[in-house]
Amino acid sequence: MNPTSGGWLILLTVLVALTLAVLHLPETWPQWLGWWRPAWVAMVIFYWVLALPHRLGLVTAWLIGFLLDILQADPLGMNGMLLAAITYFGWRFYERLRMYSVFQQCGVIFLLVLATDTLRLLVLDIIWDQGMSWGVLLPALTSMLVWPFMFLLLDRLRAQVRVE
Amino acid sequence: MPANRALSQTPFDALSTRDLIRGSLSIKALFVRESGAGYLLTGLALVSLILITLDTSTRLLESVRSAIGTVVSPLVVVAETPYLLGDSLGEVVASRENLHAINAQLERRVLELSQISQQFLAMKQENQRLRELLGSRARLPTEVLIAELIGVVPNPNTHQVIIDKGSDAGVTVGQAVIDAQGLFGQIVEVSQFTSRVLLITDASHALPVQVNRNGVRSVAGGTGHRDTLELENVPVTADIREGDLIETSGLAGRFPVGYPVGYVASVEISETSAYATVAVRPTASLDRTRHVLVLFPQTTSSDVLDDTQTLQELPSDPPLPDDPVEEGA
Repeated sequence: MNPTSGGWLILLTVLVALTLAVLHLPETWPQWLGWWRPAWVAMVIFYWVLALPHRLGLVTAWLIGFLLDILQADPLGMNGMLLAAITYFGWRFYERLRMYSVFQQCGVIFLLVLATDTLRLLVLDIIWDQGMSWGVLLPALTSMLVWPFMFLLLDRLRAQVRVE
Repeated sequence: MPANRALSQTPFDALSTRDLIRGSLSIKALFVRESGAGYLLTGLALVSLILITLDTSTRLLESVRSAIGTVVSPLVVVAETPYLLGDSLGEVVASRENLHAINAQLERRVLELSQISQQFLAMKQENQRLRELLGSRARLPTEVLIAELIGVVPNPNTHQVIIDKGSDAGVTVGQAVIDAQGLFGQIVEVSQFTSRVLLITDASHALPVQVNRNGVRSVAGGTGHRDTLELENVPVTADIREGDLIETSGLAGRFPVGYPVGYVASVEISETSAYATVAVRPTASLDRTRHVLVLFPQTTSSDVLDDTQTLQELPSDPPLPDDPVEEGA
């Protein structure tokens, strides 16, 4: 089997995640719903690192972060740092994490998203004086709830396309 | 180079830095993975922190941002497709009577506006003559560019939108953006085909304004709520009443003078404070508009400055900080 097969699927899922990250709700809907957006890009990257640790490296994740910086109007470098940290975590512990049940993985996702979002808010607070809030819990919560479905979907896609 | 040191300590010299970067490793080199990647992560984090600092405190990375923005703009358009489709679908399925009604309404509106614009032309001439008599600079005509909203920045903390005109259309950072009813915001980032607009209601935005009725000057700061601005540091004795029209004063030179910003919604005077709390409701429909106008100010080389200009654009006024996000707070 060609060791670089199916790279397009990884690219496609990352692009879809980036699009989901900018997709906005209708303006007439309450504004606070925006707080519930799951960390799509972080989860997709985490999945690929767990499934195929040799395909997605730190630098790739870091570079994807730059795209997210522009889309979310964050300072350049912010999301790269956080995505690289998530990649490192997944890559360091992938043997162990694969053995976990889906629910245990949900817990890991919750903690990861919570940690990175807290760091993000902290940096933004230092730069722009934005202030911290409990809203930081919400993306972690929704990411945790979305993870099992996303895991199953991506696993099935990966088996179909035979990404190695 | 810490990463190199980590490598040379291991017996597996065959492992190249390139492998580490790509993350491709064999089982044999398991323990190298730990040290090398850790150093790489630390390095990337440090570079990120430097980039964050550069990006937020200087304008050095503006061109980088705009280049990446050009690359990701298709994603913004894709994300907006449901709304664009919904709009065009609504146009297709609109009933005949409905279209007739809208048409009749628009015709009436055109008539009204053309009558006003006739008066406007005469008044403009008169105004110019009076200004010449006073020896002050004539107000310059402004050119506009119609742009369509193609995205909203997905961060509930900020009020920013993305429009479909970029550096290709001549848009530059700092230009004012209005909609049909009033001041909308200003351009803060430009890529080749799109630009990002900071709305006047964003919590980090502030702009110099004056009361249309008597010229009392103030600063209107965003509150983070879509329907409220707040006038900052208004003394309780200031002559500002509910219902007053607030317009741009043109001080600081970023926004042209005389565009409506909002109506005073409430004036609260507390006995414990020397300042009144003045809430302003923006006239622009910040959360509904799909079409906005980007203003292109005209500049002349011979500016005659004198006392009568204090309420006008002052090009030599102290400039705002480079990054408009940081002005006011």
